[in-house]
Amino acid sequence: MTLAIETIDLTHRYNKKLVALDRLNLRVEQGCIYGFIGPNGAGKTTTLRILAGLLSPTKGEVRLLGERLTTRAAQRLVGYMPDFFGVYDDLRVWEYLDFFARCYGLRGARLRQVVDELLDLVDLAGKRDAFVQTLSRGMQQRLCLAHALVHDPPVLLLDEPASGLDPRARVELRELLRTLRDMGKTIMLSSHILSELAEVCDAIGIIDHGRMIISGPLAEVQQQLATGARARLRIARESDVVLALALLQRHPLVSAAGAAAADPRALIIDFSEALNEEQCAAILAELVNAGVAVSEFSARSENLEELFLRLTANTGQANG
Amino acid sequence: MATHIRRPLLNPILVREARTRMRGFRPYLILTVFLLLLILSTFGIYQYMVFQARTGMVVLSSHIGQALFKGLAFTEMLFIVLVAPILTSGAISGERERLTYDMLLATPLKPGQMLAGKLIGALSYLLLLIVASIPVFSTVLIFGGVELRTLIWVVLLLGSAALFFGTIGLFCSSLFGRTTPATIASYTLVLIVCGVPLLVASIWPQFSNPMGQSPPPWLLYLNPFSAIVAVTTVTPATFQPDMPFFSVNDPFMVVPFLSQFSVGIIRYAPEGPVLMPVYRATLLGFWLGTFVLLWFSSHLALPARRWRPRWSDLGFVAAVGAIALLMWVRIDWWWIVPPVDPWLMPMEPMPMPVPIDPAPVP
Repeated sequence: MTLAIETIDLTHRYNKKLVALDRLNLRVEQGCIYGFIGPNGAGKTTTLRILAGLLSPTKGEVRLLGERLTTRAAQRLVGYMPDFFGVYDDLRVWEYLDFFARCYGLRGARLRQVVDELLDLVDLAGKRDAFVQTLSRGMQQRLCLAHALVHDPPVLLLDEPASGLDPRARVELRELLRTLRDMGKTIMLSSHILSELAEVCDAIGIIDHGRMIISGPLAEVQQQLATGARARLRIARESDVVLALALLQRHPLVSAAGAAAADPRALIIDFSEALNEEQCAAILAELVNAGVAVSEFSARSENLEELFLRLTANTGQANG
Repeated sequence: MATHIRRPLLNPILVREARTRMRGFRPYLILTVFLLLLILSTFGIYQYMVFQARTGMVVLSSHIGQALFKGLAFTEMLFIVLVAPILTSGAISGERERLTYDMLLATPLKPGQMLAGKLIGALSYLLLLIVASIPVFSTVLIFGGVELRTLIWVVLLLGSAALFFGTIGLFCSSLFGRTTPATIASYTLVLIVCGVPLLVASIWPQFSNPMGQSPPPWLLYLNPFSAIVAVTTVTPATFQPDMPFFSVNDPFMVVPFLSQFSVGIIRYAPEGPVLMPVYRATLLGFWLGTFVLLWFSSHLALPARRWRPRWSDLGFVAAVGAIALLMWVRIDWWWIVPPVDPWLMPMEPMPMPVPIDPAPVP
């Protein structure tokens, strides 16, 4: 299947000195939600602006649905929502969408139909005649997303769409993104709220200093980078903590074990490799047989946030 | 999926401007202030004329009509010069400040279309001001004295000035990222075009060598106020040395502050006073300046590779070339060769006294 977005050795320099993107290779499948993660200044916005046709790359090639990127192709194939978006305060909600629809050459009955459909899609039909300045931040975000959809583009680029939103608005946005994916759109979004990405994305890419560190389906990336696993257990009696720690520290699969700072009866155990369920059960049985009263035991793998911090810290040290 | 994108039939920026231009209290406030200013000018000029008549001057009905027309046209020009730049100085910088510029650039809308939409939007508001002033202007009809030719020239000058000073605002808006510096720069340019030539012209006689020379007409070519005063000044059909040319009824010739705007418009020749038709050069200069500034603005508004040649440049080259060609072909129409000031004319040499031969001594 043709890739929705493909970049080949994409390089961009600002003022011929500052390297924003360094031979970035990106592959995004059609119909997926792709999370683009990276610290500030990593090159996320530059990549999205190039894909939207707003910036010409210094070197490299970009293909959208197999088509070589030109400004005209980007305007046709991409819907772009910038990280800091503006709204025209003196326009009504329907006028705002009408304006952008006109920019794409829509007119007459089709124009009115698109505006109505988009207002329904982003759940703003009830605010149709309200002035944009009276909308909440979450509503404005949805309106801005709707503006990117007026020409029905197959690819959506959303730069930090969840920033500044309250939890309810974030949940609504997540639902909207899933609806759009179900409609067949390919969505590439950058975000700092990594827990959000983990819940909504099918694939992720981690970028730092203009280079792609890792990219692929979320589960695959997590598995690929699994260096071990961690478990948390809680001891019912405080007197058993020392015994439990002694047993765990002697275990060949445990690399480190210690009490949590906030709760002295909770122990955090780091394993030297990822454990399967049987291994977890064996460790638990060992503790129980030794007379340790275990009230909770939960094994978990590294989450996206930890993965991101570990990866970006490594490149930071390598560059430093 | 969008397979192709059509060009907008009607400029979307213009549609947006039409929807929002009259929203809020500001447009109505500007309109009210403008009409009040015109009514006050009419009343002031009329009172001045009545006062002149009471002091024994011969004031004909046509004199009142001409003075009113001149005063109202001047006030309208003053308002256009002051309002046009502020209407357009936020055109591009405002989009940048509002963070909507990237969103616009991601659409098929071209920076040239944005500029055109903003300029036409601002001009249509100025047109509204001009149309709203028609009832006040119609007071001139009561007194008469204004030729159709003068009326056409005034309308042409007002329209061209609106275009030129609006484009100054657009240019500064494209050049600067923020609206406040763009507005300050626009008014600095307005001051350079309007204020500096008048100031230089008024002190020219003191600093010329020999002293007392009239300022050269080219100094006033781009000054809209000199153009309005020149086009509305009525010259006598025949020169009668025993009658004063400048009627004391004309406030622009006698009232100290207003007379500054007529500096350099009249020259005195042995055959009588001569009017300098600087308004012809003003008109052509405004057209030329508008296209040159629009060309700069269309490049400055681009987000990247600003000075790469574009197909739209051909249009600007054609327009500027056509105006330049017209100016070259008709140079004798707009370039003024002023008569030499009479007091600088070389005097005829005095005949040398014939030496008288001494009588022979007998």
